[in-house]
Amino acid sequence: MSGPVLTVKNASRKFGDGGDLVVSTLARLGLIRRPPVVTAVDDVSFELERGKVLGIVGESGCGKSTLGRMIAGLLPPTSGEITLHLEDGVSRALPMQMIFQDPFSSLNPRKRVHDLVGEAPRVHRVVDPGELEAYVDRLMERCGIDPSVRQRFAHQFSGGQRQRIGIARALAVEPEILVADEAVSALDVSVQAQIINLFMDLRDEFELTYVFISHDLGVVEHIADTILVMYLGRVVEMGPAEDVFRQPLHPYTRALIDGVPRLDRRRVTYEPIAGDIPSPIDPPSGCHFHPRCPFARETCRTDRPETRTINGRDVVCHFAEEIASEEEPSPWPATQTV
Amino acid sequence: MTAPPVLEVENLNTSFLLSAGEVKALRDVSFKVHRGEILGLVGESGSGKSITGFSINGLLSPPGKVMSGAIRLHGEDIAGRSTSAMRALRGQTIAMVFQDPMMTLNPVLKIGLQMADALRAHLRISDRECRARSIAALQEVGIPSPEDRINAFPHQLSGGMRQRVAVAIALLHEPDLVIMDEPTTALDVTIQGQILALVQRLCRERGTALIWITHDLAVVAGIADRILVMYAGRIVEDGTVDEVLDTPAHPYTRGLIDSVPSRGQRGKRLQQIPGRMPALTDLPEGCAFRPRCTLATQACAAPQEMRTLAGRHVRCCRPLAEVSA
Repeated sequence: MSGPVLTVKNASRKFGDGGDLVVSTLARLGLIRRPPVVTAVDDVSFELERGKVLGIVGESGCGKSTLGRMIAGLLPPTSGEITLHLEDGVSRALPMQMIFQDPFSSLNPRKRVHDLVGEAPRVHRVVDPGELEAYVDRLMERCGIDPSVRQRFAHQFSGGQRQRIGIARALAVEPEILVADEAVSALDVSVQAQIINLFMDLRDEFELTYVFISHDLGVVEHIADTILVMYLGRVVEMGPAEDVFRQPLHPYTRALIDGVPRLDRRRVTYEPIAGDIPSPIDPPSGCHFHPRCPFARETCRTDRPETRTINGRDVVCHFAEEIASEEEPSPWPATQTV
Repeated sequence: MTAPPVLEVENLNTSFLLSAGEVKALRDVSFKVHRGEILGLVGESGSGKSITGFSINGLLSPPGKVMSGAIRLHGEDIAGRSTSAMRALRGQTIAMVFQDPMMTLNPVLKIGLQMADALRAHLRISDRECRARSIAALQEVGIPSPEDRINAFPHQLSGGMRQRVAVAIALLHEPDLVIMDEPTTALDVTIQGQILALVQRLCRERGTALIWITHDLAVVAGIADRILVMYAGRIVEDGTVDEVLDTPAHPYTRGLIDSVPSRGQRGKRLQQIPGRMPALTDLPEGCAFRPRCTLATQACAAPQEMRTLAGRHVRCCRPLAEVSA
């Protein structure tokens, strides 16, 4: 079966409103400061095919977690639409599930593993009560936790095992889409590899679609089919992972990819992009990235760039065509080998 | 290098003396750091890499205790020094930068005051000079408008800025040795790049010896001269960055390298190390990595000595073939 399983159309999310009538009137009279409105996600649109992995990357504060929460249904969008296309006749209890970064705070410390994993399928009647125990055991086993520990509490497990419990809990309600928000970031390298492998096996086995949010580009490059790069709430580049990593078209994507330390880069001199990510309360005019962009020109300061489609990729940069037409992409000055 | 090393650690053993018994956190840790050298200390959680840093800096608090071994700073053993003697060294000769700058900086004191504290711990200087030196230090780590930032509280700065302040404070007295304990783990990629660039430049300019503690092999690949790999409280491999990363001799190092998603491996299964690090209270006899090692044999059950192979060191009785070849 093909076709998108998820459509996100012009989704935006703002935090804070203008305040109630009193506050907004006082603000208008200049007596108090208007409470700030933060646009965490600004006009994001995409489609996600069934069985694919979407990787969302960006620096902290870029809105990637907010977007993830909107997809998972934990936050309603302020405007725009997020639609899920489910197959006819297949009743999925809860089609979207989320796996969180911190396996220490996302599991209830007072519950035993068996209840952590089994509560949702029991409440939503995914399985008959009589079969619940076997069902939970099967899930635990599949996620690499020995079912004999079902009576233990979350604190009795290591970080990697807790993340496995989180995955088992999410799978228990037979979801279509799993949103993994920095799900492997807190783990040690060797454990991270185990969990990434588990994610990939489960995808094949349960025909899952993933939204994989991470600031670690290495991990995202490894498992994502499509990459969505965000900067200050806006999408700056989106396209097939392979293409984006081979020839990033947005200067920000380039900076991100080139700035990643890699095993094969030795004795490099880092010359990273300057500055911090600006405050989303008062984002820069025009292209949000222009104060940090070495290629910025006058247009970038004044006009918000349109989304252009180049070689099957969406790029939000005034000079994307120029960058794409370069035979060999000029090396970003981020690193050079000594 | 003929000059004596800035730091020489020899057979360092650190334990935690708990009521349940002694937990040996470090066993026979030996290494040297020379002037201007960047040493990457790599290991997973619980491998003892942070404890190594704490032991050197004398920051262990009970029940942690350095049981035996020598820590020689410029040839002088500082292992058994009193707290006050260590205070005279800390900041002045050895400095440390920690993972979380929000935890290291005092949230209720302005940056300037915290820098003045660090300056006055070792120098008698006027307010004016104190301010001038603080501003110069902030400028050097690339903080914009340092005259204003000096009056800021830590919460008014971003994570990257806070870590810059922590680096600036560590470098105030131009120490000979800086220990950085996962300084970029909490930071974004772009900010991590900035801190890496900064530390690299300062080390080169001043000839500071640096120990960079991390769990991320890729980070040290870019800046380190030498890499030490730790596992369950022991150094298992020691060599130059190229040796260790290109031809790892210890199966654990190989496993770590293969666990990192790298280019050209898209979508393939990652090579994973089975199992997890054993608890320090429950280490197997002989090689601690034995239960997870695919190459383990009977011989691995015997205690493993550090072996020297073509100028590098590895604690394995069956080092990977490429090395001996």
